Amino acid sequence: MISVKKVDNKPLNLLERIYLYEIARGLSVTMRHFFKNLFNPAGMPTVQYPEQTIPLAGNARFRTRHRLKIRADGSPKCVACFMCQTACPAYCIKIEAAEYPSNNVEKYPAVFNIDLSRCVMCGMCVEACPEDAIAMDTAEIPGGAAARAELMMTRETLLRNLPGEKPTLGASNRLANEYLGGKE
Amino acid sequence: MPVFFEANKDMLIFTGAAAVKILVFLNAIMGFTALLTLAERKVSALIQDRIGPNRASVFGLTLNGLFHPVADGIKMVFKEDFTPGRAEKLLFTLAPFFALVPVLALFALIPFGDYIMISGYRLDLQIADLPLGLFFVLALSGLAIYGVFLGGWASKNNFALLGAMRGAAQMVSYEVVLGLTLVGLMMIYGSAGLQDMVRAQGKLLFGFIPAWGVVCQPFAFILFLTAAIAENKRTPFDLVEGESEIIGYFMEYSSMRFAAFMFAEFLEIILVSMLAATLFFGGWQVPYLHETGFIFPGGALLPVNHYLVAALQTGAFAAKTVAFSWFLLVVRWTLPRFRFDQMMGLCWKTLLPLALLNILMTGAVMLALGKI
Repeated sequence: MISVKKVDNKPLNLLERIYLYEIARGLSVTMRHFFKNLFNPAGMPTVQYPEQTIPLAGNARFRTRHRLKIRADGSPKCVACFMCQTACPAYCIKIEAAEYPSNNVEKYPAVFNIDLSRCVMCGMCVEACPEDAIAMDTAEIPGGAAARAELMMTRETLLRNLPGEKPTLGASNRLANEYLGGKE
Repeated sequence: MPVFFEANKDMLIFTGAAAVKILVFLNAIMGFTALLTLAERKVSALIQDRIGPNRASVFGLTLNGLFHPVADGIKMVFKEDFTPGRAEKLLFTLAPFFALVPVLALFALIPFGDYIMISGYRLDLQIADLPLGLFFVLALSGLAIYGVFLGGWASKNNFALLGAMRGAAQMVSYEVVLGLTLVGLMMIYGSAGLQDMVRAQGKLLFGFIPAWGVVCQPFAFILFLTAAIAENKRTPFDLVEGESEIIGYFMEYSSMRFAAFMFAEFLEIILVSMLAATLFFGGWQVPYLHETGFIFPGGALLPVNHYLVAALQTGAFAAKTVAFSWFLLVVRWTLPRFRFDQMMGLCWKTLLPLALLNILMTGAVMLALGKI
């Protein structure tokens, strides 16, 4: 059964049917905006991004530029498991794994590139990470670059802890910690 | 050789003066058109509480987006000039010219000033003063339909053809109204030459109101403006393009051919503005300014230099043109589009009878005042 919504439109009165008065009313609205913005351009809500930014209201509710967390000893928390690269729907993550000379439990990312010009900011990489090593909480909104190369993030630009963040001590993996502890 | 120059002196001076007038006037219009493409974007931005284009820079200088027309032009030149495989090559190539040439030709009739005396030679500030200028305007604007229809027809695209058919129907219909609204003006000014009509608007009604067309024929002005916007294919009559539905007759055009259509459209804005200023707002007339200076209603005199008078008059014409162009832009960004049946109904059922009524009323008033 198709339901038809009956719209009870008010019939136009004579003034509205002549239309000229209504045009004048419409023009008064647009001209008011025009002249207001012409003489007071600063009153417009536009933010001239990227030269100008406004502080974001807390970072819990949105995903911003990625970062890789760092452990207390300076090594990346990432173990190069390729989960984020696999989960990424935009294929913008490129990882090359390498091994620590003294640690045959964990790998580390020798190369960790995120191509922000392809990234769709979906947060799948954060969801997929088993080590909680990648996060999107820098409160920096990527974009507004003049060259594509500026949007290519490497391991060096990604690795950072937030100010005041307490770095993890060892590996987050229990087995790895036991193994490493046993070696000492 | 000197004999030849001596024998054909008048002819040569006339040709040279015409060439200079064409060069100056056409370049001014071309520059204004380029600025109008920017103005369209800026005006729409300001109406919608945005800033608009402001990023094109030359050596880091943006001047609030003044270089965007240049950037657009360069971009258009370097885009791929594509012709659809099944298009009629010849007509497809000709259509942009058909769109552009009638509009450009029409500017020859616009009087942009009275005259200047240069060392005893009288230089009329109008490129071609045809005695039946108004009919020529209507004839050439009828020719502009070919550009629209050939563009849609030759590209062999159903949507382009749909746009072109809408365009042809719309322009033919509103052509009728446009012609009839101007009959009243011809009746009261007793001439169809645009310069004569402007001169006639220099008189005063009751000794203090300038006898501009909008004062004598306010009704015709509204009809003319409506028909002219429709003829110009701009919102609220932009069903030819209908950006959100059928994209329009030039949808298969790219690169500078598309730019030619776009340019023709912006030229038409200027043309409509100039025609509205010429026919209804006194053209180059400045209220109370005569050949020798200001003569105010009270009888006060203020003599003004001849060249200053010419400059004031040309400036007044430019100011009126700019004001009307701005008004057309604001109208475009204010009103929603008509449905096609509403638009044709408005033309044939409302505007046409009103235009005829206007002629009748004008005739009746003239008869009552004993002007016939």
